[in-house]
Amino acid sequence: MTGHTDMGIKVLGVNHRTAPLDVRERFTHGAHEVPGALARVMAAGATGGVLLSTCNRTEFYLVADDEPVLDAVWSLLGERLETKPPGGAREYGYIARDREAVRHLYRVSSGLDSMILGESQIQGQVREAWEASRAQAGPVLHRLFQTALHVGSRVRTETGLGMGTASAASAGVAVAGKIFGDLDGRSALILGAGDMAELAAQCLSDQGVQVTLVANRTQERARAIAERLGGTAVSLEEAWPHFATTDIALCSTAAPHAVVTWERVGAVISARRGRPLCILDLAVPRDVDPAIAQLENVFLYDVDDLQTVAAQATARRRDEVPAAEQIVEQETDLFWAWYGGLGVVPTIKEWRQQMETLRAAELERALRQLPHLSPDDRARLEQFSQALLNKFLHQPTVALKQAAEQGHGYGLLEALRRLFGLEPPA
Amino acid sequence: MIVTLHLIALALYGLATALVLAPFLGGRPAPRALTIALPCAGAAFHVIAIAQLTPIGLGPALSMLAFCLVLLQLVSERLLRGSAVSFFAGPLATGLVGLAILSGLTPGNQVGGSGTQSAWFILHVVLSALGLALMALAFIAAALYLLQFRELKSRRFGQVFQLFPPLERLDQLNRFALVAGFPALTIGVLLALGYGAQFSGGLHAAKAQIVWGLFTWVVLGWAVWVRVVRRWAGRRAALASIAGFGAVLLVYVALKLVQPGAGRFL
Repeated sequence: MTGHTDMGIKVLGVNHRTAPLDVRERFTHGAHEVPGALARVMAAGATGGVLLSTCNRTEFYLVADDEPVLDAVWSLLGERLETKPPGGAREYGYIARDREAVRHLYRVSSGLDSMILGESQIQGQVREAWEASRAQAGPVLHRLFQTALHVGSRVRTETGLGMGTASAASAGVAVAGKIFGDLDGRSALILGAGDMAELAAQCLSDQGVQVTLVANRTQERARAIAERLGGTAVSLEEAWPHFATTDIALCSTAAPHAVVTWERVGAVISARRGRPLCILDLAVPRDVDPAIAQLENVFLYDVDDLQTVAAQATARRRDEVPAAEQIVEQETDLFWAWYGGLGVVPTIKEWRQQMETLRAAELERALRQLPHLSPDDRARLEQFSQALLNKFLHQPTVALKQAAEQGHGYGLLEALRRLFGLEPPA
Repeated sequence: MIVTLHLIALALYGLATALVLAPFLGGRPAPRALTIALPCAGAAFHVIAIAQLTPIGLGPALSMLAFCLVLLQLVSERLLRGSAVSFFAGPLATGLVGLAILSGLTPGNQVGGSGTQSAWFILHVVLSALGLALMALAFIAAALYLLQFRELKSRRFGQVFQLFPPLERLDQLNRFALVAGFPALTIGVLLALGYGAQFSGGLHAAKAQIVWGLFTWVVLGWAVWVRVVRRWAGRRAALASIAGFGAVLLVYVALKLVQPGAGRFL
C-alpha cells in the first residue's frame, strides 16, 4: 500500500517541444478512442483521468499512484509507435506531478504552452477533452479542468496574450481587414487547392468572406474545397477575368514560377476603377509577379510579409507572458489550497469517530468479562483505553494535517479511506 | 472663470493626446476607457465655459471649433472603434484651445452689436464651427487614409498599420464628414446672410470674413461634388480633401496676416 502515499494529480504526455510531428501524429487520439484509452488507465488503478489530445499534444491528466498507472500509460502510448526507441514512448514524453501538473494545465489552457503563443483554439480543446472524459474525471480533475477554463479566460481578458494574429493564414486575414474593414460579404478567389490554400480559405470564410471561386489545375481537388466553402471550381485560365471583380485573391499553387502575371491580369485589374484588390501570395516559389503591386490600389503580400505580421504579433504577445504567468501562479495557489484541504477535516473526524466507537465497544466487552472491578478500576481502564487511542491517532492526524497544508493530503486521505473503509467524500 | 474652465479643458485634452500618442514614442497603449474618459471630461468643462462665452472674436471662435472637433473625435472613436482620429484631432483641439486662451476669450469693445446674443447669430456660429470641424475631420480621415495606404503598399506593418483603422472605414469617415459638413456650413452661411439682413448695422462683417467664408463654402462644395457626383474615392478623394482643407487654411492665414488682431475671427 505504500504506493498510495504517491497518489495525487499527475500529467503525463508528449507535446510539440518533446516529440516531432510524425511521433505526435501517432499518439493523437480521436474522440472515439478516448473512452477506451481512459478505461485502460483506470483499470491500472487511476481514480480519475482526462485525456487531452490535439495535433500538438497528447496528455493524460490523472489522479493516480505513480506505479503502475504511469507504466500503463507509457505502454498504451508505446503501442502506437511504429519504430520503438529503446525507452519506448517515455523517450518523447514528460511527467509533472501535483502542483506542477496543475500549473501545467493552467499554462496549456492559457495558450502559454502552445506552439503559437497565446492561440485561443486550445481553450476549446481543453473544454472538449474535459467533456469527453467527464465520466472518468472524478471530483479533483473535474474541478481542475473547470478552473483551467477560468484561468484561460482570465488570461485572455486581463492580458494581451491573445492579441493580434500569429499565423501566416490569420495574418492574411488581418491584412485584408486593414484594407476592407469588415470582411463579411467580401468575395475571394482562391488559386490552388493545397492544404495551405484550404487553411487560408477557411480562415477567410470564418470571417464571413464568400469564397466564390477555387481555381486549380486539378479540378477534382478544387471542387472538393469549393463545395466545402460554397464556391465554384474553375480552371486557372477561367480565373483571370475574375480579378476584375473579386476583393481578395488568395494564391497558393504548386507552380514553379509566377502564374499571376502582368500579361494575364494587368488589364483586368486596371478595369477595377481604383477599387482595392488584396492579393495574398502564400506560395513558395511565389505565384504572383511582384510588378502587379505597382498597380494603384493593388495590395500584394507574400509569405514573408505575412510572417512578418505574424512575428510582430508573437513579439507583442511575448511582452504579455509575465502578466499571464502571474495569473497562472495565483490560480495555481488557489487550486492548491482547495486541493490540500480537500476532505481532511471531515475525514479525520469520521476516522476518529470510527475509532472511538470501536474503543467504546471493546471496552464494554472487556468490562463485561471483569465484573469484579471496582468503579475506580473501571474508570482507570476507561482512561487507559482513551489515552491509548489518542496516542495511536495523534501522529497520523498530525501527518495528515501537515500533508494537507503542503498540498499532499489527497493521497494520504485516499489511503486512509481505503485502509479503514471510510465513506468517500461527497 | 471662463479662462479657468478653458485651462482645465486644455489640461485634460493635452493629457488625453499624450496618452494617445504614447505608442508612437515607444510607450504602451493607454487603456481605451481612459483615452475616451479624459476628452469627455475635458468637453464637460469646455461646454460650461462655452455657455458663458460671447461668441465674437478669434478666441471664442477657436474655442467653439475645438469643442466641435472634440465632439466629432469622440463620435468617430465610437464609429471606428479605435483612437486613430485622436492622433490628429487631439493635438489640433488642444492647440486650438491653447490659441483661444492666448487670443483672449472676451470680445473687444469694437465689435459686436445688438444681435450678437440672438439665436440666429449663435446658430450661425455653431453651425459654421461645426461645418469647419467636419471639414477638419475629413482632412484628418484623409491624412490617416494616406498614411495607412502608404504603410500597406510599402508592407511596413509598423505602428500605423497596427493602430490606424482600415482604409475603407477611413474613406467612409472622410465621405461622411464632407457630406455632413457641407449642409452645416451652407446653413451657417445662409444664417449669416439672413442675420445681416435683419440686423443691418448690428454686425460689422469684414470683407475678409465674407471672402474666406465664401471661399471655404466653395471648396467644401467642390470636395463634396467630386466625392458624390464624380464618385471619387480612396486615395484621390483623400488628396482632394487635404488639398481643399490646406487651401482654406492658407487663405485664412494670409487674410489674418493682412488684418491682424484677435478682436475678430477675421
